[in-house]
Amino acid sequence: MNILNITWKEIKVSFRDYHTFILMLAFPIILMLILGSALSNNFDKKIKVDNVHVIYKNSASQAVFSYFQSFIKEAKVAGIDFTEVADGINGRDEVKENHFTAFIEVTDKGLTLIGSSQNSIEESILQGMLTAFADKYNLAAAVVSVDPTKVSTVLASSTKHDYITEHSLRSAKAPSSMDYYAIAITTMIAFYAALYGMGLLREERVKHTSIRLLAAPIRKSEIFLGKIIGCVLVNLICVAAIVIFSHYVYKAEWGSHIGLVFLILISEIFLAVSFGLGISYMVKSHEAARTITTLVIQLVSFFGGAYFKIDHPTGIFKFITDLSPLTWVNQAITKIIYNNDLAAVVQPVALNMGVSLLFLMIAIISFQRREGL
Amino acid sequence: MKVLEVKNLTKKFDGFIAVDNISLSINEGEIFGLLGPNGAGKSTTINLIAGLLRSSEGEIKILGKNNMKHSRYTKMNIGIVPQDLAIYEDLTAFENVKFFAGLYGLRGTELTDRVQEALEFVGLLDMQRAYPKNFSGGMKRRLNIACAIAHRPKLIIMDEPTVGIDPHSRNYILQSIHKLNEMGCTIIYTSHYMEEVEEICTRISIMDHGKVIAEGTKEQLIAIITNTKDIWIEVKSVEQIDIEKIKEINGVKTVSLDKNVIKINSEIGINNLNNILLYLMNQKVEIGSLEEREPNLETVFLTLTGRNLRD
Ligand SMILES: Nc1ncnc2c1ncn2[C@@H]1O[C@H](COP(=O)(O)OP(=O)(O)OP(=O)(O)O)[C@@H](O)[C@H]1O
Ligand SMILES: [Mg+2]
Repeated sequence: MNILNITWKEIKVSFRDYHTFILMLAFPIILMLILGSALSNNFDKKIKVDNVHVIYKNSASQAVFSYFQSFIKEAKVAGIDFTEVADGINGRDEVKENHFTAFIEVTDKGLTLIGSSQNSIEESILQGMLTAFADKYNLAAAVVSVDPTKVSTVLASSTKHDYITEHSLRSAKAPSSMDYYAIAITTMIAFYAALYGMGLLREERVKHTSIRLLAAPIRKSEIFLGKIIGCVLVNLICVAAIVIFSHYVYKAEWGSHIGLVFLILISEIFLAVSFGLGISYMVKSHEAARTITTLVIQLVSFFGGAYFKIDHPTGIFKFITDLSPLTWVNQAITKIIYNNDLAAVVQPVALNMGVSLLFLMIAIISFQRREGL
Repeated sequence: MKVLEVKNLTKKFDGFIAVDNISLSINEGEIFGLLGPNGAGKSTTINLIAGLLRSSEGEIKILGKNNMKHSRYTKMNIGIVPQDLAIYEDLTAFENVKFFAGLYGLRGTELTDRVQEALEFVGLLDMQRAYPKNFSGGMKRRLNIACAIAHRPKLIIMDEPTVGIDPHSRNYILQSIHKLNEMGCTIIYTSHYMEEVEEICTRISIMDHGKVIAEGTKEQLIAIITNTKDIWIEVKSVEQIDIEKIKEINGVKTVSLDKNVIKINSEIGINNLNNILLYLMNQKVEIGSLEEREPNLETVFLTLTGRNLRD
């Protein structure tokens, strides 16, 4: 009850500071407009399908394989090129090293598509075609990423499709520049919650209300939790407003699994808030904590592709981009929107929550030890 | 009944001793003044009593219970008015009081009633829907008090509640303190305005450098340093005056003439002013002005520490 009380107070106080609130909304909305329209020529909307190279391995009975051969035939018309894997060559490695777009294993049990998991548009086209094909012949189709610990989804679409036409068309579902920046800027703004988290308890100290909170017959942990929940909710409301605005005004694509997208966004906000809070307890001076938090937000945004899209990074650059939570979050959201890859939700949410708990632990330990807030 | 008992309380901040082995005992119904210059340790003492700080040594009991072991109980019974305004500018006056009172377990209509009662008490009921950012300094101070009393605490601790406000609000606040006291609240009042402390407090502790250097009623404190007062009478002519005759008046210690001012030093507690005036009138001396100079807490402080209360 006390927690709820404090949460509600936090929300009221935050939204009444409407200058900050308007800024929090205007900044991403304007940024989306600028980046989404100014940089749109970096995005080809028409994908040339003719440089899609696929290798396959057949270990199915003749009956099943003959279906697949007819698929190859029709797919070739659409410009997709098929090669049977030679003996001694590992199809997965070929895909990993980017020699081929995908590797298909044909067995009596069904078809398995192994992609490079960089969620390229070519891959998703192929995926769609294959699913439609499998549907038609009642085969099971699975999509697996090269890294088997990552995504593994059985595509279960029950409707029958004419796979070739349908999926040549599906290329239209590739993200436009505005679609890309709607996601990238939204997740960036969600990470700005770190600044809020950093000032969360300091705010009470500055207003001297910390004295009243501490003099009241409530536990410190209740103050702490109430404020964190309030802060996450406030940021979530802002982020939701941005998502809704981008969808209805900029016509940005958010897919048909908005609940999962929000699950990822909530976990990201939680991560950002915990991070800011943790920093505020690790670094004594407020100015230093602020500098560090701002710097981290900028780096995370930059390497997470908030300002420009980072396609297929390699080497050390890939390592750095992988460290940015925005990379996990943006990739997963893209997969959910464009590939219907629902399992993509698991990894970023688990990672975000894990890292959050780490920062929260630091904050809680120093909070309990310290006199005052 | 003892509302507060402090025994050998010490508080160190990284080796710096802010409160140095103080003991206090406050009975129900008192208005207890804590007087001292900046940095004396008044706020630190208050924060220790309210359970905001942990003592380095010593013990604090509120209504007979240790404030660390029974913090829920003791906190329920304390209302604190912080030295600095502790209110949310983005919540209305009503919402501010309601939020803080809600932390004391009040709910529903009881909560609303108590909030309005508190606002009424400080004269802000008309302004309950307004935001404190539009309030004057005095109104903010009054809201600061309302936030501390809605849960009806037995012990109210006020840390300089009248700093920087207009005389009207100041009087209002001083009257409210009397009213709270009449309603049964015990009050601890800190200030470095000795006039206020003299006016409202039943008992006073003088703190300096973390120590209690003197304690008692105003009269007891003054008696520590002196038991005499000065009476200065300016007269038109001095010819008719016989100093020896004045000296014979009960209580008078010394008498001297400084041009046309008669300077009399007399014992406190003996009311002899009318006898002195009667003598002067009998001698047909015309009186220009009369000044009775009683030592006050300022004098006490100056005598005890060699410094003024306010720099
Ligand atoms: N958290 C703290 N850390 C270190 N020193 C502190 C802390 N709080 C107070 N002090 C020091 O303790 C001493 C007593 O401070 P305190 O605030 O109790 O004085 P005060 O009597 O209330 O003064 P004022 O009239 O200015 O309010 C001061 O020298 C102050 O600098
Ligand atoms: Mg003080």
